[in-house]
Formats: sequence, C-alpha cells, structure tokens
Amino acid sequence: MTKSLILDHPFGASYAKQLGVAPWSGNLPGPKVEDWRFTPLRPLAKIPFAPAAADVDVDAIPRNVPTVPGAARIVLVNGLYRKDLSDKALGKGIALSQVRVQAKQGSSLVALNAAYAPESVAVHVSGAAAKIIHIVSIGAAGAQPTALHPRITITAETGASVTLVESHVGLPGQAYFSNPVASISVGEGASVRRYVSVDEDSEAFHLATSLVTVAAGGTFEAFHLGLGGALTRQEIRVVLTGENATVKLNGAYALGGQSHHDFTTVMDHAVPNCVSSQVFKGVVDGQSRGVYQGRIHVARDAQKTDARQLHKALFLSRGPQIDCKPELEIYADDVQCAHGATTGEIDPDHMFYLEARGIDPDTARALLVEGFLADAVNEISVEPVRDLFGNAIGTWLKTRGAA
Amino acid sequence: MSLLEIKNLHASVAGKEILKGITLTLEPGEVHAIMGPNGTGKSTLSNVIAGREGYEVTKGEVYLDGKDVLAMEADERARAGIFLAFQYPVEIPGVTTSAFLKTALNAKRRHEGKPEIDAMEFLKLVKAKTEKLGMPYDMIKRALNVGFSGGEKKRAEVLQMTMLEPRVAILDETDSGLDIDALRVVSEGVNSLRAPERAFLVITHYQRLLDYIVPDHVHVMAHGRIVESGGKDLALRLEAEGYAKYINAAA
Repeated sequence: MTKSLILDHPFGASYAKQLGVAPWSGNLPGPKVEDWRFTPLRPLAKIPFAPAAADVDVDAIPRNVPTVPGAARIVLVNGLYRKDLSDKALGKGIALSQVRVQAKQGSSLVALNAAYAPESVAVHVSGAAAKIIHIVSIGAAGAQPTALHPRITITAETGASVTLVESHVGLPGQAYFSNPVASISVGEGASVRRYVSVDEDSEAFHLATSLVTVAAGGTFEAFHLGLGGALTRQEIRVVLTGENATVKLNGAYALGGQSHHDFTTVMDHAVPNCVSSQVFKGVVDGQSRGVYQGRIHVARDAQKTDARQLHKALFLSRGPQIDCKPELEIYADDVQCAHGATTGEIDPDHMFYLEARGIDPDTARALLVEGFLADAVNEISVEPVRDLFGNAIGTWLKTRGAA
Repeated sequence: MSLLEIKNLHASVAGKEILKGITLTLEPGEVHAIMGPNGTGKSTLSNVIAGREGYEVTKGEVYLDGKDVLAMEADERARAGIFLAFQYPVEIPGVTTSAFLKTALNAKRRHEGKPEIDAMEFLKLVKAKTEKLGMPYDMIKRALNVGFSGGEKKRAEVLQMTMLEPRVAILDETDSGLDIDALRVVSEGVNSLRAPERAFLVITHYQRLLDYIVPDHVHVMAHGRIVESGGKDLALRLEAEGYAKYINAAA
C-alpha cells in the first residue's frame, strides 16, 4: 500500500503493551482514502498518544455538561464506566451492564476502538424507559497526550422506547484523542431518540462512529451537535433493516478558530417502505473547516423508499472552508430521494432590520445564526433537550470571540 | 428644541443623487405626511434617517433632540428613539417574533439604564399589545414575518412600534398592500400612539391612509426636494389633481 493510503500511527505494539492486550493490526486512513479526503488525520497520527489511565481522579463533572432535567446519568471517564460518578437508579426499563468488546470487522476506527476499548457500557431498554438516560464521556489526559476508546452499546427491545443524551467533553490540559463507538440497535416497533453533543477541549481530537440498525416499524431520531475541538468527526452509519422504519438524522455545527468538524453519514435503505430524512446545518467562523459527506444507499429491493438529505452552511467570515459531498446510490426504481446543499452569508437586509430595532450588530448576528440553525435544532422532539442544545449554541455564540 | 430636524439633506445611492436638499422640522406631538410620485426619494429619505447602508449622505444634517443622528450607527439611532416601519418587512426564518421583540426591548431598556424585562412581565405586555391590535397572541411564537400576510406584516410593524415607544416613527408606505380592514387596524394602532412627546413621519403615495391617520402637515416631494407644504387639505387636493404638475415641473 502506498504511503498516502495509510498513516504511521502511535497505536501499535508499544501502545498495546501498556494495556496488556494484543496490538491493533490496522492502520489510520491516509489522505488518499476517499472517505477521509476532507479530514486529514496526519496531525493526529503525529502525536505520541498513550493509553488513558483507568484511575484518573475526576471529582467534578466539567461545566459544559448540561443538567438534563429528570435524567439519570451514566458517566465514563477515559472510556471506563465510573460507578462513583454515575446515578444508581436508572429507572424502570433500563438495565446497565459492562461487557467485553468483541473485536470484529469494521472501519479502521471501529477496529481501533475494538482493539483497545476495555469494555462496553451496555444499556438494555425494555418497555418505555421512565427516565432520560444521559451518558457523559469525559476525556481526562494525564501528563502526556492520551487516547481513550469509549464503547457504548444500546439495545432497544421490541416496542421499547428511550431518550438518550450523550455529552462528550474533556478536561483541559494535554491533548487527548477520543475514539468512541456506539452500537445502537432499534428493535421492531421500538423508538430511540439520541441526542449527542460533542463539545471537546479546543486541543482535542474526537473521531466517533455510530453504528445504528433499525428494525421493522422502528423509529430512530438523532441529533448531533458539534461545537469545536481541534479535529472532530461524527460518522453515523444507519441501516434500515426492517420495513416501515423511520429515521430522522439531524445535526448542527458551530465552528471558530482552527476547529475542524466533519459529519459523515451513511443512510442505508436495505428494505422497502422506509423513510429517512437528514437536515444538517453549520456556521463557520475564523479559520475553521466544516465537512459534510452524506451518502444515501437504496438497495435494489428497497422500493417505496423516501430518503431526503439537506446540508446548509453559513459563513460568518471569509476565512473558513466548507466541503460538502452528497452521494446518492440508488438501485431501486420506485423511490423518492432528494438532496440539497447550499452555503451563504448573513443577509445584510436581515441585519439592518434587527439593527433598525436597536439591536447591536453582535447580538443581531447571534440571533440570525441561532435562527439559521433552528430548523435543525427544532427537529429535536424532546423539549427540555431542545432547549439545552439551543442554549449550548447560544453560549458558543456569546463566547466565540474569545476562542 | 425641535424633536427631529432635517437640514438641507443630500444623499446618493450608488453615486446617483436622490435627495437634493430636504429641510424638514418635526415638533413633538406632530404628524407630518410626505406624499409624492413614485421614484422621487421618499423611501430614500426614510432609509437615510434610519441609517441603512448603501446610502451616502453628501451634505446636510439630521438632529434628534439636538443629537447628531448621522454620526450614529443604525442600532444607536433606533435606541435613541427613531423607528422605521418598513415598507417591506423582511422574513427571518428561525428567529421567533417573541425572541426578537424581547431582544429589541431589552436593548432599549439597557440604553435607558433600566433592568431587562422579566419573562412574565414581557409576556403580559405582549399579550396586552397584541389584543389591542387584534392580532392572535400565538403569532409571537412564529418566525419573524415568515408566512405572514401583507396585513399581518404591517400589524407586526405596529406591534413593534407600540412595544418600543419611539420618539419619532417613520412609516414608509405602510398602507401598501393593505386592504381596507387592515388599513383601519394599523391606523388605529398608530393613532393610539400619538402623544405630545412623539412625532410621526408618514410616507405615502395615496391620500387614503391620511383619512385614518390625520396629519398636521403635508409635504409634497418630487425629484428629491420638498416642493410644496401645507395642511391636511393639501392631501385632498393632491388626490383630486394628481402629481402631474410636480412631475412635469421639474422634467
């Protein structure tokens, strides 16, 4: 293999030896790998990461973790379940366990996670979960750059219903690399709502993979928020495996400084009569870079598929860059598929209208940006969560000058 | 001191002179109407006073309570008490009318050294004002002007005006696109704001609006200048005679 398809990386034999496990035999994708063309991993591969310590002293949850009203918390520090920081009572319908991760085939990052994840936090849902489950993953680097491999497994039984919130944050300090993998299985007629916020430290790397399957009649509603970090990718792969399944996959990102954020989605319609929709919106400032790659795959048998995808980005200045790559692979002939992508700047007529009402330019811009992101954020069907995510964006807008 | 003083105002758009020396003084409590044919600079005058970008003032002065308006940014002018009711209010998706109103109101309150309005007080105030204007209260939950009919947009403008209580309100062709019922509601809203400390500049092409909002003074504008001024009877005369003589006079 040529150099440009793979990268030398710090996750080999000496890394594995510190954990006392067999080394990962894979490689990080290089710049010539099509899926990684817009998100180069060279800066990550150059850092001599060490495995995260298991026994880090974390006595407080970082400030940027919201309090979700009525939720039960499951806290992971450096990828490990922390009983001392988590809620004991998860409420009716939820069973929590830790299971060993089975190494299996997958993308290189999923395999990297499988090689080094100590165990998976497994949430099993039966019936209607009484509480919102809030999973908090904290990266706590030690004296040197640290890597962590959180693993989350969500299994919603037939007819089960649950709302999950995930907050990915870190403690300031050394650079860290979070490599989370979430496997989510939505059973027949089950309903899973998952709201993910990635708000890592500005020096952090975060390369997440979500692997979702939705069975017949199941509903999966997700919202992913990206608010920074040095390099973040949220890759979400959904397979609709049973008929009459519905997927709403939405997201927003707000980037400043040198942040790089990548949303990569794969919506795989494997069977007929399913509906999927995606709305992704981003605002970019400073020298940041936003990426959206969205693939819709409709199998030959997946007739009557309705699949939609939209990406819109707003430039707050002339410095940032946006790369957008929608892909439709349609092998069935009786389907409705649509995709759209636009980029633009704030409309001066909108600015003047707000200013003519006495609103200063900074506040006016913030209102317009929140408004721009709103039609993605408003897709969050659980109101208190929608408010939390809206507030997180509001806070980002207020502090971005300081970033 | 006069409330609003416009002295020999000249302004250009893209290098073309549109206003060629406007002089106009509004005393507190007065309603002035500016009438005139299309393309004569009426909307330019309102945009220049409100501080819209793209309008270059080449000569002249504007004072509000003796303060130099042209030295202020658009948002400062608004907080100082200038309100422009837009001819074409823009639709802003994603920003709710309620969030917008609250932000604008608090900007003004901060400027006046008052504390921000609390959520309950704000809702009560909006409820009272919307009822008065015959607007459904739910409208404030909708995105600003998005999907509003022409009449609803103008009512929303008047709602904003009643919330912000400006010193000088400029109504830029507020009657355009209104049916007779909407015209009455909007006019009643404006009339209810008439007060000894406030002045209005009503820009219109038609006399019709002035049946509802009765002016103290009427000015005819043509080719970037005020060519005639008079009392409210002037508006009736214009309605009967049309603008032909003013258009031809300078042609």
